[in-house]
Amino acid sequence: MLKQPPLLKPEVRKYRPPGESFVWFTATGLSLGLVMILFLLGIIFVKGVDVFWPKKAALIELKPDSPAQIGPERFLAGVVTTVQEKIGGDSAALAESQKEWQLFVGNKDVYGYGFKYFDAAFIQKVSYPESLARIERLEYGDAFGYPVMIKLAAGQIRTAGQPGFIGELKRLVHESEKRWDKIRDIEKRQIGKINDRLEDLRLKEKSRTSQHGLEARSHRELIAQEAAGLQGQYQLLAQKAQELRKLQKQDLIVYRLASGEEKELPAGQVLGFYFPNQLNWAGRAGLFCKRVFQYLSDAPREANTEGGVFPAIFGTLVMTVLMSLAVTPFGVLAAIYLREYAKQGFFVRAVRIAVNNLAGVPSIVFGVFGLGFFVYFVGGSIDRLFFKEALPTPTFGTGGILWASLTLALLTVPMVIVATEEALAAVPRGMREGSLACGASKWQTIQRIVLPASAPGILTGLILAMARGASEVAPLMLVGVVKLAPTLPLDGTFPFFHLERKFMHLGFHIYDLGFQSPDSEAAKPMVFATTLLLIGLVVVLNLGAIIIRENLRKKYSTGAF
Amino acid sequence: MTVLRDTPIQNKRTSDIPGRFQTARFTLWVDRFMNHFIKAGGLGIIAAVMGIFIFIFLQTIPLFQGARVEEIGTLQFPPDDYECFGVDEWVELPYAATKTGILRFLNVETGAVEREINVAAETGKKFTAVRQNLESQEILFGTDGGEFLIADLQYTPVYEGQKRKIEAEVRFSDVFAAGGTGPVIDISYSDHGERKLAAVLQGEAERREVRIVTFSQARSLMGAGKVELNQTFDLTPQIKGVPEKVMVNSQADSVLVTTQAGDVYFFYYTDEEMDLRQVFRPFSALPNPAIASIDYLLGSVSVVLTHESGLNEIYSLYVPEGGKSRMYGKTKTFEPVPGGATYYDASLRNKAFLIGRENFVSLRYATSESVRWQTDLPFTVYRAALGRKYDRMLFLENSGTLHIYRLTDPHPESGFHAFFQKNWYEGYSKPTYEWQSTGGTDDFEAKLSLVPLMIGTLKGTLYAMFFALPVALIAALYTAQFAHPRFKLFVKPAMEVMASLPSVVLGFLAALWLAPLIENRVPSMILIVLFLPAAAFMFGDYWTRLPLQRRNLIRSGYEWVAMVPILLLVCWAGWHLGPVLERAVFFFHDPETGARIADFRLWWPHVTGTPFEQRNSLVVGFMMAFAVIPIIFTIAEDALSNVPKTLTSGSLALGASRWQTAMRVVLPTAYPGIFSAVMVGLGRAVGETMIVVMATGNTPIMDFNIFSGMRTLSANIAVELPEAPYLGTLYRTLFFGAMVLFLMTFMVNTAAEVIRQRLREKYRTV
Repeated sequence: MLKQPPLLKPEVRKYRPPGESFVWFTATGLSLGLVMILFLLGIIFVKGVDVFWPKKAALIELKPDSPAQIGPERFLAGVVTTVQEKIGGDSAALAESQKEWQLFVGNKDVYGYGFKYFDAAFIQKVSYPESLARIERLEYGDAFGYPVMIKLAAGQIRTAGQPGFIGELKRLVHESEKRWDKIRDIEKRQIGKINDRLEDLRLKEKSRTSQHGLEARSHRELIAQEAAGLQGQYQLLAQKAQELRKLQKQDLIVYRLASGEEKELPAGQVLGFYFPNQLNWAGRAGLFCKRVFQYLSDAPREANTEGGVFPAIFGTLVMTVLMSLAVTPFGVLAAIYLREYAKQGFFVRAVRIAVNNLAGVPSIVFGVFGLGFFVYFVGGSIDRLFFKEALPTPTFGTGGILWASLTLALLTVPMVIVATEEALAAVPRGMREGSLACGASKWQTIQRIVLPASAPGILTGLILAMARGASEVAPLMLVGVVKLAPTLPLDGTFPFFHLERKFMHLGFHIYDLGFQSPDSEAAKPMVFATTLLLIGLVVVLNLGAIIIRENLRKKYSTGAF
Repeated sequence: MTVLRDTPIQNKRTSDIPGRFQTARFTLWVDRFMNHFIKAGGLGIIAAVMGIFIFIFLQTIPLFQGARVEEIGTLQFPPDDYECFGVDEWVELPYAATKTGILRFLNVETGAVEREINVAAETGKKFTAVRQNLESQEILFGTDGGEFLIADLQYTPVYEGQKRKIEAEVRFSDVFAAGGTGPVIDISYSDHGERKLAAVLQGEAERREVRIVTFSQARSLMGAGKVELNQTFDLTPQIKGVPEKVMVNSQADSVLVTTQAGDVYFFYYTDEEMDLRQVFRPFSALPNPAIASIDYLLGSVSVVLTHESGLNEIYSLYVPEGGKSRMYGKTKTFEPVPGGATYYDASLRNKAFLIGRENFVSLRYATSESVRWQTDLPFTVYRAALGRKYDRMLFLENSGTLHIYRLTDPHPESGFHAFFQKNWYEGYSKPTYEWQSTGGTDDFEAKLSLVPLMIGTLKGTLYAMFFALPVALIAALYTAQFAHPRFKLFVKPAMEVMASLPSVVLGFLAALWLAPLIENRVPSMILIVLFLPAAAFMFGDYWTRLPLQRRNLIRSGYEWVAMVPILLLVCWAGWHLGPVLERAVFFFHDPETGARIADFRLWWPHVTGTPFEQRNSLVVGFMMAFAVIPIIFTIAEDALSNVPKTLTSGSLALGASRWQTAMRVVLPTAYPGIFSAVMVGLGRAVGETMIVVMATGNTPIMDFNIFSGMRTLSANIAVELPEAPYLGTLYRTLFFGAMVLFLMTFMVNTAAEVIRQRLREKYRTV
């Protein structure tokens, strides 16, 4: 080795390799790409998490006679969402720079809107009073106000100053929650069951209307009897639910809005309440977790803009699992054929290229195929053969979770084939030869040696396929996703797994909320939360696949065989 | 793999091998079974996957087929001199009327006359003309005394148990006098609810009069009252030459009168007056300009004309450029028919019409200017009619023989011409490419040009590539050639995560976050795009001029880390300098108030005349870049870093700098790989759906303005297919769009894949 000369000649020190500034220029590309992706993920993360973080509620005192006043008093209460430069008329840039506030005032039932814009110039004072409560309601979104009193059904009245007022309020909310659970159980599960049975009977009767004779008539009578019995049960249950609903309305909570109006609310309408300005850090964190949990486990309310996304999570999950069940055997089978059985030649090469390229065909094309083939052709035929009595209402001849899963399975089968082929090719030849030399048959070799060795590779492909399947929306729009599904594809009624049902999906939820929602401003937080959830799911799946693959690479590169 | 062929199965069991060494029968059986199962299954799956294309292709075939026609029977009206005939929706009870005022209904099932009405005998008048209005099924009788009456025909299905029977009800109006003298020669009538209008041509030989009659009808809670004559006009003074034919349009607000000289007079009824709008001579260029036939198409916006030479043209109402009101102008020319047409009928479902002369008959479609079907029939046709549901064709011979043909033509409005060529749609002042698949009215003309969608696809792809290509390629070059190899460990996974971002998320961010954000910051974006490369160059230049000790602060291969703060700085500066630039450069003076307006959103349309929309191609291109960059990056990086090390080492050893090596050695070797990367990226951009659906206005327009939206083929499918009726024309057309997409991406990808494989071979031999 040569020693570094102690001193470089001046011309060497000044020497610049040609094109160095171009290298710096190309470095920008990489920096830009990485910054873009991090920035995007950061935005989604911040905005998504922010949705659940409880924020302080501001009380804004307006200057006298300002046009921003909306009630009898000069106060506005709510969460400040944006402070921005005012966009004023045509010559926006020339106008004097003025600030404009956007306040989430809630109380949509009183004001008619949830967000209020007003000029910063109207503000006299901003404070954060501890007694201001944020009430989460079943309808019309949240409300801001000061709780004033509780009017109990028995005629008792508790006013805000009394000790134990908050406890009483909590008790009421808790009770109403319990009652809602009961009502839901009766209306959804029990009445649902009866309805299903009635529908069955109706179809049975319909299929027999063309028959004549004594037997058919006695059969019809039997059906009518059963239907009457069910109707009776239905009446009973409906009455019970009606009574419970009445109970939900008997206790009243009275609160006063910052703008002066007083409002009475049945306790059954309240989902929860808290005093945002009383919360300390730990309290906020607790509330944050509770809200995240609610978001993940509740059903959507108020045209999907409130509540949770549980049905969408569940739908996405069931669909992805179904898709994996369909795609794995077929993809692996095709790959084994291509790699182990087919004679390597022009044909197999051509097929390989074609399969490879199918992965690049736009997903909407698969959606078109799914609609034409699965839904209309296969589904329509199934309906004509097995569900004749329900026609013209389609059973399988319309979009459903089975068709969606199969469409996505077709979309992802090329990915699985390619990944499996790569994994099979990576299994060292020595292993196969060793197995064959020991007297194993070809299938035994594949089954016991090749497949286990390539399992992680196949799994990687499958995980990537699942990530793709979970994030595709365009084909689903054609084959069975809906904005609000009344029932889950998996539930307690026979046959438990309802392949023909329509379902909700996280990706479509984003599309629907962002673009078809009647109140897009109110829907925005929910979209960001759902986006974070979906991105989280996809990124975790992808990272999992990447980690498995890296481990594999190490295993093979160390040359264990 | 050849080793696997010689599996032990082929070893025959021979007696000298001891039993314990022999393979179990079950093993052999399983092996043989799996052999066949995997072969069949594997091939089957591959075939099924390829079947996607075949299925989609099969769905589109009917779009390009002509009409299919077959005769299903003949019937005989009692021999008479029939002038016109028509049929009900179900083709069960056709009627025919004679000039003398006899109306006969024929039962298709029995072939016998079901009903006969002698109008002449009932009214005691002598008839000289009979015409019909097929759209609303009215038969008009004109008398020798210049009077007329309207017979309103109503078909109603009556159910007797399971059997359906069609019954016809005929309601006669009063006998109205047109007001002129002489027998009625021609008559036309239209009922548009409130407005009812009749045009009557009467007189003898050369002395003819044209009279317009309007009606009023009292309406009460009890229903419609009696139709009463309201006003009459005499149009004769305004017409030069001998009138030949009168026509009232279906809105009952305009009248066309043709003359023997070949002129057409276009009157418009407004404010209780007839206003002469236009006089034109369609065949003025021909030696004998007389019009052989003229008839309305469905909707009465266009007229179909023939000349005695056989020339067949369509004139439509449209507002000419620079004009104010709608005028007739020639829009289409068809294949000639042998001589002037003697019979004609327009479809009531679409813009098809049946035209012919003697035994030649031709079914044509106006919108796409195409012939659906034509032939020479074995008999001479006197009158023809299309079924009301566009499912039958009926031909009446002069002798009263009625031939019924079944017409199967589910997709007359499609075809190559409709999809890819300019069509002159009704009401348009020039032929255009246009996509508008559904409309509000019954006489709506579906506009199914795929060209705007393809242009939109191209536009979206172009802008996406405009952003993605430079970033992805230079990033790939840097990562493969200059960056420290350890960075690859996280750069590639990061890119993979980027590739996996759901497009619905990108679309949502584009539309609801990015679009409003950059809407009023376009100057900032311009600045950032300009500053960024300049700053990179300048900083690189400055840094490499520093003494070596300083330069070594940033090790070679770590440049990109140093670029991150610079990048952020440039973006920050550009963002805040944007409004300054806007105030300084993008201003104009309001032509009305003279106020200085400095707002790019207004400046752009003011200067270029093209619109500025919030959801525009800039936003789409930028967001689509997120989807395309990782794809191009991954493939290009692979190609660049797989260039054999011997080549680069040799170059560096000969004293070339790393940039020189990259440009002169690496790039020329790897360029096919880069090309294939670009192709695959292109394929992704072409098929991207959700981003485009969400972040553009989805208007099918035909320009490349960066500040307006577009509608791509894929977005079009996503938007329209859920609502398209099964196996309808729109449904099949959308399948055709999907097929075009499929072919485009499949071909691009295959080309890329083949190039990549070649490259791999090349690297192996180098």
